[in-house]
Amino acid sequence: MSVFSAVLLGLAMGVVFGFLLEKSRVFEPAVIVGQFQLRNFLMLRVFLAGVAAGLVVLAVLTGFGWAKLAPKATLPVADLVGGLVLGAGIALAGACPGTVLVQIGAGYRDAWFTLAGGLLGAVTFIYAEPALAPWLAAGGQGKLTLDVVLGVPFWPLALAVAVPLSLVLWTMERWRPWRTELGDAADGLLPPAAGAASPHAGRALPAE
Amino acid sequence: MPRLTEKAWSPYLAGAAIGLLQIPAFLFLGTALGASSSYVTVGATLAEVFDPGVRALRYAAAHLSGAKNWWQVALVAGIALGALLSASLSGARRRGIAPVWQRIAGVGPGGRFAMAFAGGFLMLLGARIADGCTSGHGLSGMAQLAIGSFIAVGAMFAGGIATAMLFRPVR
Repeated sequence: MSVFSAVLLGLAMGVVFGFLLEKSRVFEPAVIVGQFQLRNFLMLRVFLAGVAAGLVVLAVLTGFGWAKLAPKATLPVADLVGGLVLGAGIALAGACPGTVLVQIGAGYRDAWFTLAGGLLGAVTFIYAEPALAPWLAAGGQGKLTLDVVLGVPFWPLALAVAVPLSLVLWTMERWRPWRTELGDAADGLLPPAAGAASPHAGRALPAE
Repeated sequence: MPRLTEKAWSPYLAGAAIGLLQIPAFLFLGTALGASSSYVTVGATLAEVFDPGVRALRYAAAHLSGAKNWWQVALVAGIALGALLSASLSGARRRGIAPVWQRIAGVGPGGRFAMAFAGGFLMLLGARIADGCTSGHGLSGMAQLAIGSFIAVGAMFAGGIATAMLFRPVR
């Protein structure tokens, strides 16, 4: 595919991706931080639904031989250390590398600073990579996937994993319907939970 | 059927539709959805203005050209356009800073901008160390049952939870 057609395809897919991310509310800082504080589960719902659909899609595409998997190499040290740093960054930014652009499109001002910080982080890694390369590769296992570890074909395993994921989502919806986590402004910001200390707790209320 | 003018769609529906975007990615480009390597492509392009020698670095050179790299840059640019479109149709355009930051961190605009910049820096540094982000490891790696992505996603949640618990509760 030429660079020009790849860019057109990327733009078209990106518009759909951004539209869906905005509608899912998963780009809202209160949703992302709320997920990490285990007080709002919209992010997990979107994420698990995306994984489950992806599993079914890839079971079909690879099962019929229309596509090959393109997994990343298993690099235990790099995956662990990088994941921890990335998670801390997501909590501080209230966004992940893709949803920063949703925040910019939706209008949040601070997202421009997240984007600038992200570009500096990427450039820093470019210059640090030669020095980091030996330990990034430590314990590398190549492109290892669960079907290979278990010695079974990918497509039935992918479908078998999609089933319990769907059950988890069904159970979550029974436990707490997703609309109750939206908030009045659809930004995931909810009134303080019953029993939670209010920001003004301990301050004497004026007598009526 | 959800309407384009609604502020929120079911997270299950939106999430599943995002999963379907793997179809064109695999069929036309032989790759999975991802976002964070586009920062390397754009960052290296900007760095080259100040340091023409950056192209000599293997990691920069691998991200500066080619259909897949610029496809992903276009993808993240498209994400901003799609979000602008969706928020405009539903009347959910945002301005300023999300009120949650005042509640959980007690920061004003200046503090929040510094925090966002630091967060963005750590986010991309971590994503490049791990070779993927919430999209590449999260959505795509998990859907391919990649062992490295299970480790990365577990670590991502651990790092995120440990950091978010330092803030005041969102509710």
